[in-house]
Amino acid sequence: MIFLFIGLPLVVAAFMPLIGKVSKKVAPDVLANAVFLFLLVLAVTSGRQLIGQGPVLQSLSWLGEPLAIQIAVDGFSLFMLMAISLVTFCIGLYSINYMTHYGSKANFYALLLMMVAGMNGLVLVTDLFQLYIFLEVAAVASYALVAFGLEHDELEAAFKYLMLSVVASAAILIAIGLLFGLTGSLGFAAVGDALRGLDAKLAVGFCAALFIMGFGLKAALVPFHAWLPDAHPSAPAPISAVLSGLLIKVSGVYALARIFYNVFGLEAGGALSQALMILGAISIVVAAFLAIRQSDMKRMLAYSSISQVGYVVLGIGIGTPLGVAGGLLHLFNHALAKGLLFLNSGAIQQSTGTRNLDEMGGLAKRMPVTAATSLVGSLSIAGVPPLGGFWSKLLIIMALVQAGHGVLAVVAVLASVVTLWYYLIMQRKAFFGKLNEKWAAVKEAPFWMSAATVLLALLVIGSGIFFAAIIKSWIQPASESLAKGLQTALHGLGGF
Amino acid sequence: MSETWLIYLGFAAALLAVGLYTLLTMRNVIKLFIGFEVVSKGVSLVLLSTGFARTHILLAQSLVITFIVVEVSLVATALALIINIYRQTNSLDVRGLTKLKG
Amino acid sequence: MTGHIALLCGIVLFSILAVLAKDLIKAAISLAVASLLLGILFFLMGAPYAGVFEISVVAGLITVLFMLTIALTKTGGDVRESKAVRIAFPVFFIAFIVIDILVMASLLPKIHVLAGGTETGTFGDVLWKQRTFDLVGQLAVILAGVFAVLALFRKRDKDE
Repeated sequence: MIFLFIGLPLVVAAFMPLIGKVSKKVAPDVLANAVFLFLLVLAVTSGRQLIGQGPVLQSLSWLGEPLAIQIAVDGFSLFMLMAISLVTFCIGLYSINYMTHYGSKANFYALLLMMVAGMNGLVLVTDLFQLYIFLEVAAVASYALVAFGLEHDELEAAFKYLMLSVVASAAILIAIGLLFGLTGSLGFAAVGDALRGLDAKLAVGFCAALFIMGFGLKAALVPFHAWLPDAHPSAPAPISAVLSGLLIKVSGVYALARIFYNVFGLEAGGALSQALMILGAISIVVAAFLAIRQSDMKRMLAYSSISQVGYVVLGIGIGTPLGVAGGLLHLFNHALAKGLLFLNSGAIQQSTGTRNLDEMGGLAKRMPVTAATSLVGSLSIAGVPPLGGFWSKLLIIMALVQAGHGVLAVVAVLASVVTLWYYLIMQRKAFFGKLNEKWAAVKEAPFWMSAATVLLALLVIGSGIFFAAIIKSWIQPASESLAKGLQTALHGLGGF
Repeated sequence: MSETWLIYLGFAAALLAVGLYTLLTMRNVIKLFIGFEVVSKGVSLVLLSTGFARTHILLAQSLVITFIVVEVSLVATALALIINIYRQTNSLDVRGLTKLKG
Repeated sequence: MTGHIALLCGIVLFSILAVLAKDLIKAAISLAVASLLLGILFFLMGAPYAGVFEISVVAGLITVLFMLTIALTKTGGDVRESKAVRIAFPVFFIAFIVIDILVMASLLPKIHVLAGGTETGTFGDVLWKQRTFDLVGQLAVILAGVFAVLALFRKRDKDE
């Protein structure tokens, strides 16, 4: 059952080129969206019962012969699966209209499905090396998707992204190799156990530093962020939404949190926790100030992604249950809201042909749906109550105060004021004020694009109103499994 | 066995340093990619020599094979990107790639 | 052991040649030689399959891909690297080697590792029975690479 999260997108992607030969647009649209819908339903309905009794470890068998394919689901991975399915479903709907003018839709969906398969795999594996492989699956697909427009900007961005990303993968793989040498195994639980019985602080610290560098590059935390403001804006809008909304969190934050909590055993107040918190705080502040100066709408959103991922890392780095819950809730809220905002920017770019905020103005009159949904997204990220982003930032700040990090709490509050400021600048320049005469004939986005943005906006509002229910049913199991790890399920099983 | 392991790691570190130096300083995009190739040689050396020194050679062997497959996939993608960049700019100079800033 | 070290020195040497060579074709060939030596080292370490892969895929296939790219981008191949890069390299490299040796020597007494395990069975057992999931991952990576290349070389007619 759970293997469908990896297998289904993989198989459908493999047949996509054939399907694209038969019908260039309709069949790929229908099929890809059906897959996304199916995965969403699967994640929301079946997952919860499955892990009702705690983490589940599944092995596959082939013709009665057990295979050594093990995947594990616990609260944390289920939460990520849900976030991935939710955002990709909306992206799929949006792409029906948006990707038409790029041509070769079958190929686009094939790559998108591969990226989803890679992210789902990354979330489900129980082994360090397999984590690396699925990281690369998602990454290879994302390089091609960033360059999908094949214009100068896209190619330049994709090349820079690829170059920094391969350095990141190399750092990650070396750390994995060293851990393999120290402990003789690769499974999360087995390595974690072995490390506890081993006095090798120096070597483990070195591995942790390599992981921070590698996953920090993937998550674009501040000293490692240079590629993101190029790569995310250059990609087609739905891909920007997936990259900013999901990929940096799955291949950066999820992997980092999983390894630090379940393998190294992060403790509140320890060195690992402090390193994460400092990185998070620097990202929040630096990226927020860089965002203010941008006049390109998508670039502003990209810098905002760096800043918001900083909040997620800050929350997870605190190491207390409240902090982890706040970080994960913010991850979810940011995935929805930033996905929404990038889709909005794509709608504007398609209607007006520009991303420059200075050329826009008064678009609310011509594109009411886009304007309204983008206002919702902006306010949520900026942390205005009662939208989702407010609650998650509140939780993070409360956790900071509770753990005695008053200074960081003040920083987080002040940075969220800056966030509100640049989002208001964006709203004012794009949607309010006098309508620029150039845009008198501009039309609202086509049906599926509007449908996707409205759906996401409703989800953003819903996640604010029902935040208590979300915390109880999704976030708490996730943060508990981070604290406890996969050990209980994997003991004795995760040999290699 | 930890002594021999460190010797191999020392050589792997030298390969990584050469590769990273190239990635940081060179201007030709193909040269940059040769730098990446040198880095991946270092990585596969780390993986296999770890297995050799810690008597997990079979496992390490299967890891290295998987890594080589991943590497081929990456190289193909990257070279396709480089050819596309060349078609656009008619040059292989990485300094031509500075349009995006800010 | 001395054989291993000689091979390792050769690998590092040819990698440096590949990086510093002015001519891209020569660089690609040096890289292939380095791969070849690495493949031989893998054989000596008792990993014949990895050796075959390294020689046939990395020294063979990837070198061919490099050559193809170099041929396709011939006229733009003259990118002048700044002189400083070449001059600074020996300084950098020697400094790095000194640090490398010092670090490794000082680490020697400090690193504790678990006792090495013993492996039973054949390579086929390990690959097929323990690392089956890696094969799924390999398949996925290859698919992703194929789609990436297809996407990058597709014909761009705006309205199909």
